[in-house]
Amino acid sequence: MKGPFGAVLAVMTAVALAFLLVPILAIFLQIPLGQLLDGMRSPAAVDALIVTAKTTLVANALILLFGTPTAYLIATRDFRGRALLVTAIELPLVLPPAVAGIGLLAALSPIGLLGSTLDFLGFEIAFTQAAVVLAVTFVASPFYIRAGISAFEAVDPSLTGAARTLGAGPGRTFFRIALPLAAGGLGGGWALAFARGIGEFGATIMFAGSLQGVTQTLSLAVYEQFDVDFDVALAIGAELVVVSAAILLAVKLVPSWTSSTSTSTTLSAPSASR
Amino acid sequence: MRRGLAFGVGLAAAVALIAGFTSTRAEGPATVYAAASLTGVFPKVSPSSNFQFAGSNQLAFQIRNGAPADLFASATPVYTQDLYRDGLVEKPRLFATNSLVLAVPRSNPAKIRSVQDLAKRPKLKLVVAGAKVPIGLYTREVLKRLGLLRVLRKTVSQEPDVKGIVGKLAFGQADAGFVYATDVRASSSRLIAIPLPPRSQPTVRYEIAVVKSTNNRASALELVADLLGEDGRRELKRAGFGLP
Repeated sequence: MKGPFGAVLAVMTAVALAFLLVPILAIFLQIPLGQLLDGMRSPAAVDALIVTAKTTLVANALILLFGTPTAYLIATRDFRGRALLVTAIELPLVLPPAVAGIGLLAALSPIGLLGSTLDFLGFEIAFTQAAVVLAVTFVASPFYIRAGISAFEAVDPSLTGAARTLGAGPGRTFFRIALPLAAGGLGGGWALAFARGIGEFGATIMFAGSLQGVTQTLSLAVYEQFDVDFDVALAIGAELVVVSAAILLAVKLVPSWTSSTSTSTTLSAPSASR
Repeated sequence: MRRGLAFGVGLAAAVALIAGFTSTRAEGPATVYAAASLTGVFPKVSPSSNFQFAGSNQLAFQIRNGAPADLFASATPVYTQDLYRDGLVEKPRLFATNSLVLAVPRSNPAKIRSVQDLAKRPKLKLVVAGAKVPIGLYTREVLKRLGLLRVLRKTVSQEPDVKGIVGKLAFGQADAGFVYATDVRASSSRLIAIPLPPRSQPTVRYEIAVVKSTNNRASALELVADLLGEDGRRELKRAGFGLP
């Protein structure tokens, strides 16, 4: 590509790439690698990693467990107010995390809407890892459900219809036909939800607080450490960069996901994609 | 060719736009980095200024790293004097005092009547701030003077500033926390203040200093004059601050 247009394109791309990559590289270049690794071994960083791993695991299990049937039901049924329901599910996506935090407090704190009910049932949520899980699930699950709805919608109804005609029950049709065909879209949505959950900050600090080894996730630890021990903050930042990059790569590389993505999104014209 | 021109113009416009955003140090309203506990009162003293409220330790850290602040108001002389010693701010001026109270939610779920009760409630949920945050510093001072440092073990959350503590208490998430007297006054519908024994009361002093790198010295000095003047003193007093 020659001429002024090509030059402009190249310059714009260089600026965009530099802008996106320099802050990420800077995390790794600010201090020597050895110091960075020492930072990762500090108690604050190790505790935060454990807390993040535990809460993320539970939150993502909940997201998959409840999100998948929700997405399937909404995708395969037509009912009044469906568009409104989808919009409501998407709302947490666009809400600022601080609003999510205040909403969770208004609903589940001891003086909140359901506070006395929870207390009566003997649930203690405040400042526990359960609170972290709830905050993460609240902000992250819409990513999965939304992607899941599109993925299930893209499954050719004639295929599921054929399965039913051939005698498969609705459950079998779901597990053998719809779920495998939607797996690509579901995987992509789940990766987004996972990444959003790892990065969750605002709602967590408002609703769950921040205590090392209990509720302090990696994102919260970066914030607490940045004026206490900058090296540790950088080290945790580096960990988050690595984890996030790994998620992205996994989504792009896992072949079953990528191939089934192309199947599910181009199902109406499968021959064109091959 | 015309498109290339359009691209060029667009690029120039984008650069100009970003440059416009970055030059916050230009003459105009002062940008004030102020302790979280001043959130309610500072905008009343100087409605036209821009404020960033956070823990004084964080603000000091940001100023040290070149944040475009014109003024720094800290909830403890520790951070203003620190920056002054390193030549980053002009001589700090004392402008207000405050005191600590033990705050509990209006419903008082742990039935706290005095600071000594903190030690007697085994399942107490105490919220404090980090040891570098001014309120965290003062909290540890109070507990040390009372020989109660062990209650810190009941900490359920380490907050980045005093607003975090007030928020957790206001929603009844936590049972107790040390905050400034002015904080309870500002949210008296949700919090109750339990006074501390006078012997344990730390000296809470607020200092303000002009940041040396400011291009906005005139506005900054004007705000300091307002703050130390009659109007500033009236607003501070109304909010419950002590006057030096």
